Amino acid sequence: MNFSDLIQRIPGIIKSPETVPVEGKKLIVDCVAWLGSAVGITLPEWVLTLVSILIVIVTIIAVFMVMFALMSVFERKIIARIQNRYGPNRVGPCGLFQPVADGIKMLTKEDIVPRGADKIVHFLAPIAMVAPALVLPVILPYGRGMVPIELATGILFFFAMGAGTELAVFMAGWSSNNKYSVMGAMRAIAQMISYELPLVMSAVVVALVAGTLSPNGIVEAQAGYNLGFIPKWFVLTPWGFVACLLFYLGALAESNRSPFDLPEGESELVAGHLTEYSGFKYAIFFMAEYVGMFAINGLLVTLFLGGYQSPLPFLEWIPSWCWFFAKLACVAFSMVWVRATLPRFRIDQMMQFAWKFMLPMSFAALIAAATWHYAGRGPAAWGLSALIVGIPYLVLGRLCFTRHHTADNRTYLFSE
Amino acid sequence: MHDLLQRFLSLPWDQAPQWLFLIPALLMLLASAAAVMLRNLIHCALCLTLSFIALGVLFIALGAEFVGFVQLLVYVGAVTMLILFAILLTPASEVAASNNPFRSFNLSKAVNAVTGGAVALLVLCGLLAAIFFSPHARAAVNPAQAAVAPAKAIGENLLSHTLLPLQGTAILLTAALIGAALLAKEERPS
Amino acid sequence: MMLQVLLAISAVLFCFGLLAALTRSNAIMVLIGIEMMLGAGNLNFIAFWKFSAHPELLTGVMFAIFSIALAAAEAAVGLAIIIQVHRRLRSVNINRADQLKG
Repeated sequence: MNFSDLIQRIPGIIKSPETVPVEGKKLIVDCVAWLGSAVGITLPEWVLTLVSILIVIVTIIAVFMVMFALMSVFERKIIARIQNRYGPNRVGPCGLFQPVADGIKMLTKEDIVPRGADKIVHFLAPIAMVAPALVLPVILPYGRGMVPIELATGILFFFAMGAGTELAVFMAGWSSNNKYSVMGAMRAIAQMISYELPLVMSAVVVALVAGTLSPNGIVEAQAGYNLGFIPKWFVLTPWGFVACLLFYLGALAESNRSPFDLPEGESELVAGHLTEYSGFKYAIFFMAEYVGMFAINGLLVTLFLGGYQSPLPFLEWIPSWCWFFAKLACVAFSMVWVRATLPRFRIDQMMQFAWKFMLPMSFAALIAAATWHYAGRGPAAWGLSALIVGIPYLVLGRLCFTRHHTADNRTYLFSE
Repeated sequence: MHDLLQRFLSLPWDQAPQWLFLIPALLMLLASAAAVMLRNLIHCALCLTLSFIALGVLFIALGAEFVGFVQLLVYVGAVTMLILFAILLTPASEVAASNNPFRSFNLSKAVNAVTGGAVALLVLCGLLAAIFFSPHARAAVNPAQAAVAPAKAIGENLLSHTLLPLQGTAILLTAALIGAALLAKEERPS
Repeated sequence: MMLQVLLAISAVLFCFGLLAALTRSNAIMVLIGIEMMLGAGNLNFIAFWKFSAHPELLTGVMFAIFSIALAAAEAAVGLAIIIQVHRRLRSVNINRADQLKG
């Protein structure tokens, strides 16, 4: 293994990725072996494996930390632009060093634990929050042959790890010994459990059509073009479009972002389960939320937007991981846009929307996907599945969103 | 000392990775012991969650990846959440004094604890005796190749050999959903 | 040897569950004990599957999956019953729930 061979195999440099299968982890192993031989040591196999695992872990954490830092400043600037003001522009060029200033501020703040708090659980809650969030990104395919951990049940892994977040929210809310915290945590858990159902169901739709639970297999199933230029992404089929929207809404709700930010609605609950957290622990919660958001957006890109596939045939010379991150940035931007534009839901609206609209719609999408598959995936199948998702949409929209249903029958579940 | 070190090094270390499952197993036992002994109900439920997480990891370590993830998804995501909600829906006074026989001394409670402990210990002795002295369990050998349960095979199995149990489970879960909703629904005075 | 160790671990877990179900008088703790016993049962299924002569038949795995689904249903109904009992008797102590009439 010489140096020019290694250079040739770096994903961004190869011209046509299809001809040479690039295996990211094998590449790292070879790089480490090459470095070892350059110094004059032959490294044993287990050292290579260990070092490559460490490199993958450090890379994922570093990339997501940088994305978190960039997102925190760009989100504020974008929202400011939408609301006709400047946003942060004091620290560094164009305010780009704002995250550094924020980080210093967070680290130097006093870490307060309330006297009545359950100290152990209060301490463990941020850890329980950030650990699953940092594990989530490992199953995403970032490019051809660039899957950190190739799991045959990757989608299931993602949702199983995501379930840990609810527990952390409960721990944070209950251990703070504050009624705002408990109420915020109860709201957050109710919201997460309710929206997890349509989220998982819409992922099941894709798993059904792709015939696999492995994220890489799902991206491979979306390769190719119809008519030579329309990509075979799942979002461009009727059932996939519906499932994609459901997944997007579920992702918004799971990451507690506006318009689903009721658990930490400042005007109602101070800051929900985060009320009694300060300093570095608060920053950890914040970070976990953003990393979780990136991970779930990455899953959205993987499931519906073709993952690392390029949108047009003549753009395939651009490395596949560029497409993944470009799509990820677009989805993240749309979430910021939504946050800047829409007001917050009321709690009964939120619950009704999840159980009476999104869940039946996800079942409809499941049936439509099965029909699409068995009708031959052609134009006729396209029309048929459009019909199967269209009719429930019209009927449910009529039933759920007529005025008197939402405005009059209000029940105050948690206020008694 | 040197002799001990020599014997330690000559143990079959190449078989060590297949005993790694002992780490989650011990964590699981510790967490479940804490879940039984602790005074505060919320702490009990949180320890139970830790025990379930370790059990899921143990399943994954034994090669049943799919079952391990389902265990994490169902138990951590749903069952413990139900338990925690139920604990919060019972009044705070009872959460504080959850009459744990191991902490507060009281004759009837002590008798209760001793009897329960004796029964559990008896069952444990019986089980362990059966496990370590039964000829069937001793006849089992380590498998030649690692047993794996691929998700595709599980799916095919669910829809062929175990189709009837699957349908039965679906009906049962629907019945449980409706039943739980009906039971927990508050009866409002008309 | 590995199978026996696994079965012993599962037996200890089962007995912890039994201990919780027998000695605690809080209904929720009894439910927690039952969940532990079910988990021990699942561990046995997986252990026997791993050391069976035909692991490719997946018998133990299928049993474990169904058992997890049933345990979830059991927890939901059990907790609903506990909440209803609490509403009637203002207590979740199982020693107080001694009437056959609601």
